[in-house]
Amino acid sequence: MAFTILDGGSFTSTGAGVKIPLPSSADYFKVWNTTQLAAAAPNAVVGAEWFGPKFGVGASAANSGIRWKKAGSSALVIDSFSTATASDGFTYVVTSPNVEPQAANAITAITAASPAVVSQTNTYSEGDFVRIYNTTGMLQIAGMVFQISTVSGSGYTLTGLRAAGFAAAATAGFTRRVSKNAAVDPEYLYITEITKATQAVVRTSVDPSNYYVVGNKIHFSVPPSFGMSEINQLTGTITAVSAANYTLTVDIDSSAFTTFAFPASTASPTAQLFATLSPAGSQTSFNPVSQVQTGYEFQKTPFHTGQFTPYMFLAGGADSPAGANADVINWMSYKLEV
Amino acid sequence: MANGITNINNMAPELPLQFSEDLLSTPMFNYAESHIGKTTRMSRYERLSTDGGQLDGSGIDPAPEVVVRSDIDATMEIYAKTVVINEQVTLYENDKVLTKFTALLGQWMREKEDLLMRDLYASSVSYINAVGGINGDQPSEISRNDINNIERILLGNDARTMLEGIDAMDKFGTAPTRDAFIALASTDITPDLQNVQGVLLKNAYPNQEGLRPEEYCSVSRFRFFVSSKAAKIPGASLQGRTVYTIPMYGLEAAAKIEQNNYSATLGYRPPYVVSSVAQNSQLYAKFAIARAITNQNWISGLNVTARL
Repeated sequence: MAFTILDGGSFTSTGAGVKIPLPSSADYFKVWNTTQLAAAAPNAVVGAEWFGPKFGVGASAANSGIRWKKAGSSALVIDSFSTATASDGFTYVVTSPNVEPQAANAITAITAASPAVVSQTNTYSEGDFVRIYNTTGMLQIAGMVFQISTVSGSGYTLTGLRAAGFAAAATAGFTRRVSKNAAVDPEYLYITEITKATQAVVRTSVDPSNYYVVGNKIHFSVPPSFGMSEINQLTGTITAVSAANYTLTVDIDSSAFTTFAFPASTASPTAQLFATLSPAGSQTSFNPVSQVQTGYEFQKTPFHTGQFTPYMFLAGGADSPAGANADVINWMSYKLEV
Repeated sequence: MANGITNINNMAPELPLQFSEDLLSTPMFNYAESHIGKTTRMSRYERLSTDGGQLDGSGIDPAPEVVVRSDIDATMEIYAKTVVINEQVTLYENDKVLTKFTALLGQWMREKEDLLMRDLYASSVSYINAVGGINGDQPSEISRNDINNIERILLGNDARTMLEGIDAMDKFGTAPTRDAFIALASTDITPDLQNVQGVLLKNAYPNQEGLRPEEYCSVSRFRFFVSSKAAKIPGASLQGRTVYTIPMYGLEAAAKIEQNNYSATLGYRPPYVVSSVAQNSQLYAKFAIARAITNQNWISGLNVTARL
């Protein structure tokens, strides 16, 4: 058994999906929800197993696996995550993902409000990233990635999109969940708003504090269709970051610039898209009296791999491997010798 | 502290010591100092403003300008691959598997390196959707207008071309190429590249000497190189099609940094080390790399879909 590799660990669920890096890859993966195992008659998954491609015809499908569930009694029901009463299971990812293997999901509406609210039956978790495409109405946002918040099974809020100025709501569309981290970070971000101010405030479609800190420099790419062409190709230094509002403040005086605005939906597909910002290094400062250096974070600022692969994605929720909020999950990964 | 003075308050030192490898000859501790940390820093002093500057004869000096240094940092990362070979393979196979597997690991190293740079371009650069095509999608397929727009951006940012022009020659069906920026595209869009107005396919270059196999064509100020592994994003267009990202750049837009003595390590572990009964040996390849976009002004690119 010289090359059989076992790995394992434990985490407390937040109810959201969990990525477990697997440097040695995996052929078999197992979780136990120790919280629900101890409960007398929960209505929840208590354990789950995944079989890799090495098992050939017996391998688990994407977003599936074997589901061990107590359905309101102490009796175990063992089936697959992809049965008629489907729930999200395991997804094994070996390459840097843009799209996490989960089925496309139909939207029924996106409000023209600030912030915009999406109506959609979904199994997403708080803070997930989704790419919106094939919209009916609001064509100007089709293709963009958004971070979602205030998530319920019937919809969520797009904190990064203030759509009150849009001509009309979207009446249909699709989403796919995408990775929160690009293959390399810091990554480019979609811009949804830039204020006219002595220090421009830039709103992005996702929380920028995941990637940028005060002192980092960002480069603007704003096509003429977004109005504020004066800021196009400029580089600014970040002076403030707001995780709550998805905004960055930069040392660019935009007060005399043309107003930033999304092109009209009717202008698509010929209007140039999108307005984006990208990492352009950093400009740190040093206080010789206090000996404090600011404007830098080693975990975020240097270019580095954003998403380690391979990893196992455990979907979150009571009917999924990563469990519900506060559940304690034990996991084990097996790399077989032959 | 006086305003307008370039000092360590607005230009922080990178490290509390300065490494001077060339001046000290033998002390080994000096080399050890150079290996502190795993973050590589590249720096650039931004050019000074050309506003004002005229002396009016009153004796008043012009205000000093604070010099700005941009630091570009990259994390050094190590990648490795291994192959374990049972002795029966080497005993019964006559095709020199260890040699061939070593070559295979060498190929893996360069392929992996290529993909890592692809990922950098795909993740950390701003792209503009092509809109000059006719497939009705957003982005559209690639067009001459879209390519010209990127050339305008790069030239507007004073980017320098990567490749020299190829002079015209007295050969039928050929045309000279201009000094050019580089564009990296997917093999999936080669039919669309052929349809771009003014495209000069590689065979129509006046001189084929020194051309890379992966080069496909020249359009305007860009030479296009194609790969089956180029970056693409499934289902990201307005209509849900695959979007292909095409980085287009000039000199010094990006950097691939190698660690001293670690750019390509190939190793062999004999059977008595790997296996308790000395039956399995092991080959491995390992390399270290740091990657960074060093100047966003000199790189841009297009998002496109395929026409078909």
